[in-house]
Amino acid sequence: MDTVVAEGLRISGVSYVLIFAVLGIFYGLIKLLLRILPRKDDST
Amino acid sequence: MTDLLRGIVGMADWRVWAMFGVGLALIWLAVKKEYEPNLLLPMGFGCLLANIPFSSAVGGGFLDVLFKGGITNELFPILIFIGVGAMIDFGPLLQDPEMLFFGAAAQFGIFFTMMLALLVGRIPGVTGIPGLREAAAIGIIGAADGPTAIYVATRFAPALLAPITVAAYSYMSLVPIIQPPIIRALTTREERMIHMENPEHEVSRTVKVIFPIAVTLIAGIIAPMSVALIGSLMFGNLLRESGVTERLSKTAQNELSSLVTILLGITIGSSMGGKQFLNPTTLLIIAMGLIAFVFDTAGGVLFAKLINLFRKRKINPMIGACGISAFPMSARVIQKMAQQEDGSNFIIMHAVGANVAGQIASIIAGGLILALVR
Repeated sequence: MDTVVAEGLRISGVSYVLIFAVLGIFYGLIKLLLRILPRKDDST
Repeated sequence: MTDLLRGIVGMADWRVWAMFGVGLALIWLAVKKEYEPNLLLPMGFGCLLANIPFSSAVGGGFLDVLFKGGITNELFPILIFIGVGAMIDFGPLLQDPEMLFFGAAAQFGIFFTMMLALLVGRIPGVTGIPGLREAAAIGIIGAADGPTAIYVATRFAPALLAPITVAAYSYMSLVPIIQPPIIRALTTREERMIHMENPEHEVSRTVKVIFPIAVTLIAGIIAPMSVALIGSLMFGNLLRESGVTERLSKTAQNELSSLVTILLGITIGSSMGGKQFLNPTTLLIIAMGLIAFVFDTAGGVLFAKLINLFRKRKINPMIGACGISAFPMSARVIQKMAQQEDGSNFIIMHAVGANVAGQIASIIAGGLILALVR
């Protein structure tokens, strides 16, 4: 395979997985915030 | 006298007429069809200004000054993001954080299109996509997010900026036409009729204030290249949610957004010079932009169907399509489709949650591409 195409494939795959990983961290963050902080105090 | 005549002589170039046609078509789409009028109208007019032979607006004129001062240094997309952040309510996402993963899944079109552009660029005779940077700039159309597309294209392929921007904004305005047939092709009527319960719990202001700060810090540490984009978006959101800067929040939502949109649109339009714009690469970019949106939608829907294999309480797979960043258009389209199948089905809260997740995911995607592509 062309090295540039192989590099593109590698970057695409890594990036797509990393997006899930980063948003997974945000998911954990939100869950944590919702658990440790009151939900009603000055709710919107 | 010579100066007066040279403008008329310049009209002999067919590209001038062709670009007048493109500019007028953009204005027509804005005025008659109301497709992204706030951007397409200034772009169309900017296109006219740039293509008038020997125009004083370009070639050192005010549009060149704006281009250097707002596009080349990436200022305009960043300022737009402050306004966008101030407009977004992350509440539906914070109530139902699972929607984040649909935002991630629906970025699939970016990477599919990037690979496609790379392969097309290897075809003998295709000269406009010489490497990975140009392919990445084309793929980012799939972010369905104008400022991110402009930001990445400015860095990676400034010569392709105009067609990439036109494609990104045009397809964002065409989401109501692009998404429904793909969703129908990938889902059954029963799936489209799935009801989803709205989350009952409320989200405190404290969470809404901490969220933009935490996201900026986490995303920035993981992908420093995304700090400008995610930081400006979240700064705008913090102005909104802090509750103490209402005047600044309203300014960001209205005056700042409007002013920068005017300047951004007319400046992007001015980069549509006939010599740069009228070539086969532009057509390829327009075609691949559509493919990016199609595969974004498919990625989101198929991911939702995959998740449903393991869930007891099923998700309406149309929600997956909202993971593209075209906010709030996509959420509206999906709610409309849900109601067409079942008038009592209200999935708008989940749809908006996935839609704003797409906004975050598209910026992360842009930051990762900027960091990884050399």
